[in-house]
Amino acid sequence: MRSTKFWIILISGILAISLIAAAAVYFWHGTGTIACVYQDGVLIREIPLETVTAPYSFDVTWENGKKNTITVEPGRICISEAQCPDQVCVHTGWISDGITPIVCLPNHLSIRIESDLRQADGVVR
Amino acid sequence: MELKKMTRNALLTAIALTIFMIEAQIPPLVPITGVKLGLANIVTVFALFAYSWRDALMILLVRIFLGSVFSGQLMTLLYSLSGGLLCFAVTVLLRRFFTEKQIWAASAVGAVFHNIGQIITAILVTSTPGMIVYLPVLLVSGIVTGLFTGLCAQFLYGKLKHLGQF
Repeated sequence: MRSTKFWIILISGILAISLIAAAAVYFWHGTGTIACVYQDGVLIREIPLETVTAPYSFDVTWENGKKNTITVEPGRICISEAQCPDQVCVHTGWISDGITPIVCLPNHLSIRIESDLRQADGVVR
Repeated sequence: MELKKMTRNALLTAIALTIFMIEAQIPPLVPITGVKLGLANIVTVFALFAYSWRDALMILLVRIFLGSVFSGQLMTLLYSLSGGLLCFAVTVLLRRFFTEKQIWAASAVGAVFHNIGQIITAILVTSTPGMIVYLPVLLVSGIVTGLFTGLCAQFLYGKLKHLGQF
């Protein structure tokens, strides 16, 4: 048995650490402008969102022939159509910062917005 | 298994499944993948404290399996199972550290491990280790919703105990 105080302190501790970590993630990753499309963890396409002038769409096909339609507009990106059962990726909507990725688990697809800094890192490596 | 126990567990499973299916119809409050209220866990937490871990596990597994079948999402099965089972295992192991007045705390701690399980599965499925940066966001929502469902279970436990139901 532990006192109620112990649990309150433990839970608020985890909550505080998570909030700080979430804020840190926001500041580090929230400044990116390059949308990186990953299929099964492999980077398949990079779109510098700042240079997009006119909206356009393209399709990404997964092994089972299921397609995801990705739409790009100046400064933002979304999955506009998906051949997956849950449609979570479509409901995520537009993203324009690195805080939330768009993930389509059934089709092993994820889109993250990464910063130029990390991009430069990758080039050096 | 006794008939009474079996009937009771079936009833609880049906309640959990109903809550699960209704919650699935509510549009996401926050547009972040993996964030949800998890109201069905009220039943699991309640069963764990009111009866035994075997009853709770049975209710949890049947609810997850039937929930995935009814909602037609196999990925939900994988996700709910990984998060749900890790959360369940940890809560059962920590069960003896919680009094019956600390159900809400058990639920919040369980939620933390639910999120950790979810993130591990997401990393494995998408092969993107970078998903880990997403854990703090999930943890914040997990603790808040965990406290909420835990409090619901706490009140339910108190009421039913008062009525002499177990």
